[in-house]
Amino acid sequence: MPDFLLQTVFNASYAASYMALIAVGLVLIFGVMGVVNFAHGELYMAGAYAIVFFYAWNGLPFFVAVALGLVFVGCLGILMELTLFRPLRTNPLGGLIASIGFLLILQTVAVVGFGLRNQNVPRVSQGGITVGGAVLTYERLAVIVVTIVLLAALWLFLRRSKFGWALRACAQDREAAALQGISINQTARYAMFIGAALAGVAGAMTAPLVAPSPYMGHSVIVTAFIIIIVGGVGSLEGAVVAAILYAFVHTFVTTFYDGVIANIVGLLLMLAVLVVKPQGLFGVRERA
Amino acid sequence: MKSEPNFSLTRRSLLTGAASAALLPIVGMPKAAFAEGDVIKIGFLAPLTGPVAAWGKPGLDGCQIWADWTNEAGGVEIGGKPYKIELVSYDDEDDAGKARTGATQLIRENEVKFIMMLGGNSWPGVEEIAARQGMMVSTLLPSDLTPDTTTLIAPCEVHPIYNVTGVEWLAANRPELKTAVICAQDDALGKPSVATYLAAFEAAGIKMASEPLFFDPATTDFAPVMTQLLANNPDILCLDTCYADYVQPLCEQAFQQGYKGQIISCTLDFYQRIVDRTSKEFMEGVIFQFPDFDDKALNDPRINFKKPNEYYAEYVKRYGATQWSAVSWEYASILDLWADAANRAGSAEPEDTLKAMKEGGKGKHAFGDARWWGKELFGIDNALVGDWPVVVIRDGKATIAEFRSIPDWWDKNGELLVKHMTALGQMWNQRT
Repeated sequence: MPDFLLQTVFNASYAASYMALIAVGLVLIFGVMGVVNFAHGELYMAGAYAIVFFYAWNGLPFFVAVALGLVFVGCLGILMELTLFRPLRTNPLGGLIASIGFLLILQTVAVVGFGLRNQNVPRVSQGGITVGGAVLTYERLAVIVVTIVLLAALWLFLRRSKFGWALRACAQDREAAALQGISINQTARYAMFIGAALAGVAGAMTAPLVAPSPYMGHSVIVTAFIIIIVGGVGSLEGAVVAAILYAFVHTFVTTFYDGVIANIVGLLLMLAVLVVKPQGLFGVRERA
Repeated sequence: MKSEPNFSLTRRSLLTGAASAALLPIVGMPKAAFAEGDVIKIGFLAPLTGPVAAWGKPGLDGCQIWADWTNEAGGVEIGGKPYKIELVSYDDEDDAGKARTGATQLIRENEVKFIMMLGGNSWPGVEEIAARQGMMVSTLLPSDLTPDTTTLIAPCEVHPIYNVTGVEWLAANRPELKTAVICAQDDALGKPSVATYLAAFEAAGIKMASEPLFFDPATTDFAPVMTQLLANNPDILCLDTCYADYVQPLCEQAFQQGYKGQIISCTLDFYQRIVDRTSKEFMEGVIFQFPDFDDKALNDPRINFKKPNEYYAEYVKRYGATQWSAVSWEYASILDLWADAANRAGSAEPEDTLKAMKEGGKGKHAFGDARWWGKELFGIDNALVGDWPVVVIRDGKATIAEFRSIPDWWDKNGELLVKHMTALGQMWNQRT
């Protein structure tokens, strides 16, 4: 039984890690730009396909491919900001609709470029850490470590750098930030780059574990939305805590009952948070 | 300004023309010349894009080979006259609404004589127009069948009933295995398959070590699923009819979490990739139900599929070995049955062809003699069942171990199947 529990903790830690990366990116984009980016799941998919291209097809070292994936998906984010979200800045619904269109474009590009079938990404490592009877493979451990490093770096960036302050100022009040001389366009560009890049890294790091397919974004976007609602829309800390909470609840319920009940419990968790604290665990109540 | 085409005769073109003329008796003239209008159109209505495209597109590719070969050989002879076959495809994206639009277009505009579908989610959109127009439609999922679907047939794959053959073979060859666990995605494909495996395990005297584990089709991380499955140390790990996207990570998780027992699955698409990502030793002896068509066992005279080894080679040549899947041959095999029935009926009209196909309640499907069956499970005898191959991974390669009879199993254990189908709400009169 202890092995069984430990294995479940390992599984939950991995799930919490990549979901936290995706959710934090989504929150950052929403917080700074006020856009619900429905294409966020497809940015995760784009990160996975970057690994297919750079690592599986062209033989670059895995972590070089991850870095290239980060830059590539970050640039996709900038492209979205320049061509979709900026022209539609005064129309939040327009941004949402445009992101759905971009989602379909990314899926189609993946189908045309890589085919319909799921892709085979060679294993990076076959080994793992064994504790008792529980196993944490190095690939999964790498996802956890990279998540911790990136989120810590993001925290430092937001708290200690001028650009980080600008991002946080925009997230609090865009107009007031603009009045203080902060460039809204520049901060939006940064937010999109970082938010998209985080989703891209999540896709890239998990690519050897999930067999990328053009439609893999669907499966994560709903969970990401649940997480940011539970954590508090706009709260980065909330997204991390909610990702951990959701992943542990979901994984334990899946392991002890089944995956369908786990989904129901996940939604009940969201419902309970909305009833008890409508602004989410770390959300701030809006003033009337 | 338009440039004038250059028609000047060069020495090279003269030599090429002369050489072609000289070679004509060797390479031969086209075997058949079809008069304009001597064309029969067959509709292909299946997901060609979207998450379920892997169950449609490889089938269309296979049908194109069938059509090319058939037309090169002179077409299909109907009423003493050769007809060219033309495939008309429509991407239903596994959506009932799009399937309705596609069926309407195929029937009214393209005037097809027969429609092949994947079925499942898309069938409800087609049911009404197929009944109204009397259009013969084939499905790969016999769970679409009801007493009202008189023009719908499942002539190739009677999913998931053939899975009983794998369990029966396993019980006969590895009687020491006593306990099993099973998981499946919680959908219309997973549930009837679970019921079938439960019946097959019960018939074989194999106990379930835990309740069937259903997971959300949106699942991406299968580690928790596998942790639960392996908690009771089962002898047999059954992966049911999980989609290819799930089978691979499930096998990997089983490997990583130290499972050393027997694996049985309905499909094992891209198994070579799974072997590469786990190990030959781990995958040795894995049982599933879909052979590679380069298997020499398919050259047996009872097999009712033309030149399976050559077909596989052509498929690999055109589309690549990695594109071969369980459905790559199935739709083409249905075309074989259709062509034979149309030939016997002397007519390509759906009503005549269907009548000829079901004549005498017997027929031949891809793996030999078969009978029209299904009343007890589907309320109508529109599923063609016979033998089905049991495929085993040996030294990293899928090999047909034996053909086993589904009707024989049914005659002995039919009640068990009905019991488990009923328990999971999968009988035709329980489905909504």
